[in-house]
Amino acid sequence: MPKIPLIFTGFILLLLFALGASLALGEAMLSPVEVWEAIWGDGDDSSRIILFDIRLPRTIVGLFAGAGLGASGVVMQAYFRNPLASPGLLGVSSGGALGAVLAIALGSVLGVFSVPMASVAGAFMATGAVIMLARKGASPEHLLLAGVALNALFGAATSFLLSMSAAHTHLGAQILFWLMGGIENRTWEHVWMSFPGILLASLLLLPLGRPMNLLALGDSGAQSLGVNVRRLRWQLIVLSTILTALATAVGGIIGFVGLVVPHIIRLTHGPDHRRLLPLSMLGGASLVLLCDLPTRFLGSGMRLGVITSLVGGPFLLWLLRKRPC
Amino acid sequence: MLRAISLSVDGRLRDVSLGVCGGECVAILGPNGAGKSTLLRALAGLLRAAGSVCWMGTALERIPYIERGRRLAWLGQESAAEFAFPVRDVVAQGRFAHGDDNQRIDEVMAALDISHIANRSITELSGGERRRVFLARALATGAPIQLWDEPTSSLDVRHALEVYALARNLANSGDSCVLVSLHDIRAAYRFDRVIVLDQGKLIVDGSPHDVLTAPLIRQVFLVEARFLTSLVPELPGIV
Repeated sequence: MPKIPLIFTGFILLLLFALGASLALGEAMLSPVEVWEAIWGDGDDSSRIILFDIRLPRTIVGLFAGAGLGASGVVMQAYFRNPLASPGLLGVSSGGALGAVLAIALGSVLGVFSVPMASVAGAFMATGAVIMLARKGASPEHLLLAGVALNALFGAATSFLLSMSAAHTHLGAQILFWLMGGIENRTWEHVWMSFPGILLASLLLLPLGRPMNLLALGDSGAQSLGVNVRRLRWQLIVLSTILTALATAVGGIIGFVGLVVPHIIRLTHGPDHRRLLPLSMLGGASLVLLCDLPTRFLGSGMRLGVITSLVGGPFLLWLLRKRPC
Repeated sequence: MLRAISLSVDGRLRDVSLGVCGGECVAILGPNGAGKSTLLRALAGLLRAAGSVCWMGTALERIPYIERGRRLAWLGQESAAEFAFPVRDVVAQGRFAHGDDNQRIDEVMAALDISHIANRSITELSGGERRRVFLARALATGAPIQLWDEPTSSLDVRHALEVYALARNLANSGDSCVLVSLHDIRAAYRFDRVIVLDQGKLIVDGSPHDVLTAPLIRQVFLVEARFLTSLVPELPGIV
């Protein structure tokens, strides 16, 4: 398959472009030269401060949150053998949202990090529930229904907290902002909180692309061909929930990335998971970084999660019109 | 080559014992719900069953998963086709346990008459075409034990005959055995041996000419059987 390197080159170039734009563009514009100089510790103090304290953490958080959501979407779609599955299907992101909203509503006790910390706690609580079910050998259908139940439960609690806080405009706005996703004002602590876990889970996920291809065509068939299906399903659910939990903790609910990116890549490059996984990581990261750019100029209403859905939705519709599923 | 002792699956299969040697081509008959698919799945290690199963002298539970993929191939009745994999990639999955070495693929695609659709997506195929693709995947494994659950159910007459011929050739080539579940009683005469299941129990096991008697067919299938002379389709060159 000599075409693979070319495809990857394209996606890597796209990501590099997104990274460069994310570092350079904003209220204070930096030229490529200024970015380059600042990276190597040259140039003036202000560009170095902008780059290292503001742009770089924001960019790295976007990179890993996007890659994690892209990969997690691929896994959920293969796991449930349904192209409509998304990272939030099992309640992990709504669990994370509830944790974050709870922390906001109750007021920060631990400072800036109480929100992402609470989000990680909420997401892992949901993850724990899902994994316990999966370990008991629950079928995908059972897990799916459990996810529906968890989503409803967490969603109701989040709505309750939101309506309770609506009277306090400031709190209500903060909660809404978080629910719509965003990576502004991220610090290096956010980076350290998300990137090791997302990187590790992604690296562990990549070699599973081969057996995932077999799983996509049926459990029994996959097992008869030599796959330990039970173990594979367990690995997939653990890794994908970790990715979703960490991405949600640092980026809020960034809608649609995990659904639309794998879908678009499947339509354009085929369903082979050995390609789909890495390309969705690159594509998810690029989409999040590029969609983050307009939020820097369009005022506070245009949140990252709003833009990813505004861009992703029509693009998917356009692709579907060209080539039916 | 393949041996099962007192194989039981709660309510669906009761105390079935059988042994199949290399070179044998076995048909499994029985009405709907008799346990044909359950037996094949239990033999393939795809469902929890009481009793013991041995593949080529080794107890099934002692064979690692990847090695199972090299020893036995199983073709199920249904196959998921939600994702648009090209036909060739599906057939190539048969080489998973061999590290995706791409051996045998063109050969089995030609044998099952799917070379011309190699680049089509499985989501676009007819039921019969898809069946042949998944049968090709099973054959591509090169596994000596082949279990096919109603492989001819959606095939036209020529492709069905070709599948019987394939089973026969595989068995004749030496160290392979083929077990095929069927609904067509007449097709069972093309096999060396027939196993009839009814309500989860093994009723008879022997050569089709010996065991397929009118009383047995009446008892198991609740139909009358009579001999008649009529046109019987065969592959060109056989008649």
